[in-house]
Amino acid sequence: MAELRAVRYVAGNAVILDDVSARFRPGAFNVILGPNGAGKSTLLRVATGLLRPTAGTVLYDDRPVRDFSPDALARKRAVLSQHVSLAFPLPVRDVVLMGRYPHFGRAPGAHDREIVSRALDLVGMREKGEQPYPTLSGGEQQKVQLARVLAQIWNEDAPREPKYLFLDEPTSSLDVHYQLHLLDVARGLLARECTVVAILHDLNVAFHYGDAFFVMDGGRVVLETDRASEIPPALIERVFRVRTHAVVDQETGERVWRFSL
Amino acid sequence: MPRRLTSGQVQLLLGLALVAAMVASAGIGAFSFAPERMLHYLAQAAGWLPSTDADALGRNVFLRLRLPRVLLSAATGAVLGVSGALMQGLFRNPIVEPGLAGTSAGAAFGAALVFVFAGGSGSALSFTAPLGALAVPLLAFAGAFGATMLVYRVSTAFGKVNVFTLLLAGIAVNAVCGAGTGFLSYVARDPQARNITFWNLGTFTTASWRGVVLVVAVLAICLALAQRHAKALNALMLGEDEAAYLGIDPGTLIFRLLVLNTVMVAAATAMVGVIAFVGLIVPHVLRMVKSSDYTFLVPASALLGALLMVLVDIVARVIIPPAELPIGIITAVVGAPVFLAILLRQRGEGGVGFHG
Repeated sequence: MAELRAVRYVAGNAVILDDVSARFRPGAFNVILGPNGAGKSTLLRVATGLLRPTAGTVLYDDRPVRDFSPDALARKRAVLSQHVSLAFPLPVRDVVLMGRYPHFGRAPGAHDREIVSRALDLVGMREKGEQPYPTLSGGEQQKVQLARVLAQIWNEDAPREPKYLFLDEPTSSLDVHYQLHLLDVARGLLARECTVVAILHDLNVAFHYGDAFFVMDGGRVVLETDRASEIPPALIERVFRVRTHAVVDQETGERVWRFSL
Repeated sequence: MPRRLTSGQVQLLLGLALVAAMVASAGIGAFSFAPERMLHYLAQAAGWLPSTDADALGRNVFLRLRLPRVLLSAATGAVLGVSGALMQGLFRNPIVEPGLAGTSAGAAFGAALVFVFAGGSGSALSFTAPLGALAVPLLAFAGAFGATMLVYRVSTAFGKVNVFTLLLAGIAVNAVCGAGTGFLSYVARDPQARNITFWNLGTFTTASWRGVVLVVAVLAICLALAQRHAKALNALMLGEDEAAYLGIDPGTLIFRLLVLNTVMVAAATAMVGVIAFVGLIVPHVLRMVKSSDYTFLVPASALLGALLMVLVDIVARVIIPPAELPIGIITAVVGAPVFLAILLRQRGEGGVGFHG
């Protein structure tokens, strides 16, 4: 289980995170929601160990994140960012291989190369393995980055151990097809002892994919719930400063939200 | 070199070309030597063959002037090639090289201080006297490190390198160091000033075995260290945060790269002067013909840098005999158009290199 205990993060005089405690549900799709400036990105950067909190602790499997060596931490959790550009052209396969860097010393083994191929398979990009990364479309590039983080916390084969995948607004610049594909692949990891923690902006997508929800506002988690239906519309209206209107999909019975100012 | 050659094959070809170029360079000049004559002199130096007075002149020219010069040019080229590759990885941009980021100018300023002031007793820099022959490399290192660090800090904000700020900061630091070096050559007595002028353009005429030992030692150590950071340099292409998520501490990596770089550039600059554009062209050509993968780029840049510099040195010696052209003039004449070509290409590709 990944857990934040009384985390506080202060930058200069600004309190970005104010006494945040959260236990991410193991093997579930955890969604962090909140308006711009609520502290979501900082929370993620603290939760991944990139930023050291001013106070409080981050734990993976009851072990403080600071006790992990850099390589061990990189084998435990991976992070997919919004958009990753490459400073120099490399073939797709070499980019995915970077996910294996925490696993091998100087040169990759046959095992690492096989995982790269299988990760490319999982995202449907194997036939583009030799193509230079910059020639791909934005959606394809994000698929390659997804393959890279999958290779980093590869957990397809037994014996498995708990792994964590953090998604930092991974779908913001993707069209609908690539958004759903990425989230489907991420959901597929849940059956492999992987916990997903995602910042998502599209509330309908979040409610559809999420298993647990953490609503943030002003540097605090103001609501934590396992059911989308338990999130009161009044809270959404206050936090996001919009008016909401729920429509029920006749076919699925699922609630779809509409927003207006 | 077509793309289907493996990295190993490209390196082998470069190595063979380098050996051939070094043999040619050792043979060509005011005194020319056939390969079997070179072997003869080498065997005499090793004591396997008796040394005779009859060929003492040729042997001295070959062993004391020509050979160190060839070795120094190769080692310097290798150092500059690797340094350019590291610098481009550090700044995540293909147009960066030690000359642009202020490293060379800083080294030149530091070394010029020693040239002008260290001589007289009671002068401001007489404290360098105990350092002896190491004073020039050490002050060159201090100048190079200060200049590069300043440019890096100014051009980095929130973990990203802003290339425009980098270029402007580089111009500013180059101008300050250039002004300092200019001032020193102005106040210097005549022979010192002439030294500085020559040395600002790069020259192998002063090649000595001491210089060869210093540059080769620095090259060997730094090349080995750079190879160990090849994976991290690749990861850094994704950006500092992504590299950190892969278990690499970007702060430590960048500091180590800066130190490695400045050691290499300072050693080369202290021995042969300022040579621009080699660090720019070498990694760029290798990226085009093969790959930007640093596990390939680091050793290949050493080989191609050495090859290029040996060839440039041959040109410098034969183009206007009996005089010699400063190395820096040739590399600038060849390098500046290549630099412009890279910029044009980038413009065509929507400015690929300008992403932080």
